[in-house]
Amino acid sequence: MARVELVKVAKRYGKQTVLSPLDLTIPDGSFTVLVGPSGCGKSTLLRLLAGLDTLSEGAILLDAKQINDLDPADRDIAMVFQSYALYPHLTVAENLGFHMKVKRVKREEQEGKIARVAEILGISKLLNRFPRALSGGQRQRVAMGRAMVRNPQVFLFDEPLSNLDAQLRMELRAEIKALHQRFKTTMVYVTHDQVEAMTLADQIVVMRDGVIVQQGKPLEIYDFPVNTFVARFIGSPPMNLLEGQLDIQQGQPGVLCNGLRFTLPARWHDAASRQGNKPVLVGVRAQDFILDPASAQPTATVKLIEVTGESSLLHIDWQGFSLHVQFAGRVDAQPEQAIALAINSEKMHLFDAESGNRLS
Amino acid sequence: MKRKLRLVLRYLAALLVAVSILGPMLWLFLMSVSSNNDLARIPLEWLPRKWDFSRYAALVSLEPGQPGALFLHALGNSILVATSATLISLLLAIPAAFSFSRYPGRDGWLFGSLAIYMVPPVAFVLPLYFVLQQLNLLNTHLGLVLVYCSLILPFLTWMLKNQFDALPRDIELAARLDGLRFWQVLLRITLPLAKPVLGASALFGWLLAWDEFFYALLFTSNISAQTLPVTIAGFTAGRATDDGLIAAVGILASVPPLFIAIWLQKSLVNGLASGGSKG
Repeated sequence: MARVELVKVAKRYGKQTVLSPLDLTIPDGSFTVLVGPSGCGKSTLLRLLAGLDTLSEGAILLDAKQINDLDPADRDIAMVFQSYALYPHLTVAENLGFHMKVKRVKREEQEGKIARVAEILGISKLLNRFPRALSGGQRQRVAMGRAMVRNPQVFLFDEPLSNLDAQLRMELRAEIKALHQRFKTTMVYVTHDQVEAMTLADQIVVMRDGVIVQQGKPLEIYDFPVNTFVARFIGSPPMNLLEGQLDIQQGQPGVLCNGLRFTLPARWHDAASRQGNKPVLVGVRAQDFILDPASAQPTATVKLIEVTGESSLLHIDWQGFSLHVQFAGRVDAQPEQAIALAINSEKMHLFDAESGNRLS
Repeated sequence: MKRKLRLVLRYLAALLVAVSILGPMLWLFLMSVSSNNDLARIPLEWLPRKWDFSRYAALVSLEPGQPGALFLHALGNSILVATSATLISLLLAIPAAFSFSRYPGRDGWLFGSLAIYMVPPVAFVLPLYFVLQQLNLLNTHLGLVLVYCSLILPFLTWMLKNQFDALPRDIELAARLDGLRFWQVLLRITLPLAKPVLGASALFGWLLAWDEFFYALLFTSNISAQTLPVTIAGFTAGRATDDGLIAAVGILASVPPLFIAIWLQKSLVNGLASGGSKG
């Protein structure tokens, strides 16, 4: 059991505020991903949890017990670093067993645990090697093993996959997820990669400038971003934003964006009427466009096509808006070709143009 | 062709360095085994007509009336003083360097001590003399050890700080999470990783004390604390100088550093190399 609570936690270096006072609960057994652009304070938060840095104010509770004054050695929290941080002068087996050696665990018990963890991670054959003789992926496996062997209350991951190539990253991502499903240990994972955040998390915490912008289940955040920052940060490619003005024609509320008019679905009617005639931003994900709808004129121009095989990403100019539009499969289009486009208005988002906050 | 030429040039350069170092050593050795007559012969002959090792025998014998007693005593003093000063300096420099490296902002102290280090030694002669006199440490081992610590400590601290700076911090943080206290991290992680430079800088520190002449000359008055460089100088002074004897002392005096260097060779090469890549 390990439920982590941060209460009014803040961190300042001199006059510079890195974390504004924030509250966060990490439920027992959850996989919480802290995500945000670099400098948003996510790594600082992780270091505070680990005890590698001291709080400026607030408290950190582990199962209702205050731990923020404990030495990192006494917290029973393990961490995996981006740089692997293996002990270069020790073999893989010694790296794995380091914590147990410090805690004077019996030798037979140490060996049993090391063997088991090595087996799980597929590094049994590497036990007698030194870290310098390992590849990046193997090193990160050892680093994960070093954390797992301890069977800690909480796992912390600080961008563990950032130094690996794309394929290995995908592989290890799945392994981390599988490990979590198997052991159900509380995990806190820091990344700037929204794909990792979406695929791994039970709970995503989006941060910016030392503040939690939004937290929730991955799909919740994907479907209901609280502002344009989250909307553009989560999801790839970033959500398209079109400046516009609310507009009622024949009693039908809609949004007028340059020469385009989008009819609002019923669920936005209340929010739109509260907004009055203040300018809005219409958010549309690249995947939420419809190509060649029956009713439309070819008003958009294709500028560029990026083909990956399983999908096509079109850079499009639509009445002065440059948009990313993604379609599954292949699209029969050429640069400078005019195409007809519509949006899936059910998937449309509305934000206040001034504050960037989602209309409600 | 160009590559071959470069290789040849490189070997020539290495040869030049080797000859310039070994040449004088060789000459010193030949002097030490030549009789005085051979040495004074004109025209000069490179090899002695008779190989005479008696000076070495005299130097390592403790019989009264021989220069050996003086030499061996000075050798002992030198080893004792240089080794103690190095060990004490290491003991102090390690935590100091760790602190300077891990807590930026304290650098001022280090730069201050290095600035003082730049001042010519002669400026410190009087103050040091008075301090040693007050403490009753003139002409004692301890006095010299203290003086040499003041030479070695800033140097060692500087070398080690640079090495600690180059070590990745994450490893230490990982060790903290693995259950080590702050000082245990230093002992079990940082020091083992810094071992190559530790050995190399300790050797340099030791040589600093081993070769030191000026302070040793001024702060010692007789053989009870006099070190080898001063004693060698004593052999040249006064009466009939035996050049061969001085040469033999020179050869013998270079033996202990040689052994230490061989012993530390592996770490020395590592240390010099790693020191080279990181300021």
